[in-house]
Amino acid sequence: MSDSLQTIPSTIVSEHVVDCTMLDRIILRLSANVQGASMEGETVLLDLNTGRYYTLNRLGSVIWEHCTGHNTISDIHANLCNRFEVAPERALDDLIALINQLIQEGLIQYETR
Amino acid sequence: MTKAAVEQSVTGYLFSLYGTSVRYVAESPLLVAPVHELLRYFRRDSLEESAALTLYFHAVQERAEIPLTMSSSARQLSFGTGAAVGDRRETGLLYKVIQDEGRWIADFCDVGVLVMDGSQGRADGYLIKPETLHVNVIEYLFHLALTDLFRHRGLYTIHAAALEKHGRGILISGNSGRGKTTSSISLLRSGYRYLSDDHPLIQDAGVHVEVLPFPTKMNVTETTIAFFPELLDVLDPAPHPGSHKRSFHVEDLYPTSGGERCRPAMVLFPHVVDACHSHLERISKRQALELLLPQALLVFDPEVARREFQILVKLARQVDCYRLHFGRDMPDLPNLITPLLEQAR
Repeated sequence: MSDSLQTIPSTIVSEHVVDCTMLDRIILRLSANVQGASMEGETVLLDLNTGRYYTLNRLGSVIWEHCTGHNTISDIHANLCNRFEVAPERALDDLIALINQLIQEGLIQYETR
Repeated sequence: MTKAAVEQSVTGYLFSLYGTSVRYVAESPLLVAPVHELLRYFRRDSLEESAALTLYFHAVQERAEIPLTMSSSARQLSFGTGAAVGDRRETGLLYKVIQDEGRWIADFCDVGVLVMDGSQGRADGYLIKPETLHVNVIEYLFHLALTDLFRHRGLYTIHAAALEKHGRGILISGNSGRGKTTSSISLLRSGYRYLSDDHPLIQDAGVHVEVLPFPTKMNVTETTIAFFPELLDVLDPAPHPGSHKRSFHVEDLYPTSGGERCRPAMVLFPHVVDACHSHLERISKRQALELLLPQALLVFDPEVARREFQILVKLARQVDCYRLHFGRDMPDLPNLITPLLEQAR
């Protein structure tokens, strides 16, 4: 039902989904069943199949915006490092953790090229 | 009862809400009065064209009489209590929701079943022993069916009180007991106009979202009555059985209070605090959307849900949003709200 609200922080620890040795080959894209809205830098996502909705903080929102079906995880990581004052290792950890969570929730899909 | 007798007892009633015509066919007189009260401002003697939406409500004596068939592709979407079905959170009915080939079926166990077909504009309600049901339950089930059909036609409902002043709308949203109705009465006393106590409609008007009146009786607790003793002159004599609230028609107390469709400029999310004075806390658009979603969105048809989500996003973007920490100065609320509403875009 629609009453569930999950906030996805950018620093969660989750089970590995993506292969971290192939970050320059993994492409991310949004799932067709997800509707998102950017609100003052943050993002609210609705899974149209389950009615569950989620919020992304500013970092998560930038990651979400780059899941276009064109960017690799390495591309997104480079963008984060340019955009935020963050250590590259920390940015990568946060990025991988969020991607894993988004994949597990069915909010994004990935393919290896 | 023979078929001929059933047909004789079936009566159709006509309503028109914002360009959407509705025909309601009730098999039992018991199913008529609650709907008439809910839609009393929208009743029509005739329609210029055939009704866009038709709701048939049937009275049965046993669950086995409900002619419910499901295909092999039917799947259960959810189950729980009425708190998660629709926006009438005080109605805690057990339910399960089943999707079956374009229909969704809300099964309320021993109370009845709703079968909705939004694309066909038709809903069937089967109520078991309606003579044993509280009128609020009948009204709730009809409202649930009606609002689902409305969603397919671009009319959405939201769990909120709604008022208007000088063409600017204010929505007061939140679960029961948070102070929506008390806030509304405080504003009505100072000249605000009434749109709805619990479930106004919202519609995408292009440039912005509009809120549309859905006036019903207001329901108040004894606590609210204590703040506004003038209510005693117009209240129903006693609470409905099983309810701690008493009701009144707003126009009986505020004769010129009927508001017009308008652009909402402000949304309040009240909660009662133990303090002398109320105060407002500005919240972000994202926070507002998070608070609005559970008061409005009901996901069954993904495409309809997508459109509804978009209109809620648009609403959150166009309004100023505040948490209202509602203190004991309830009658003074207009002093807090009106200057901000006048400044709102």
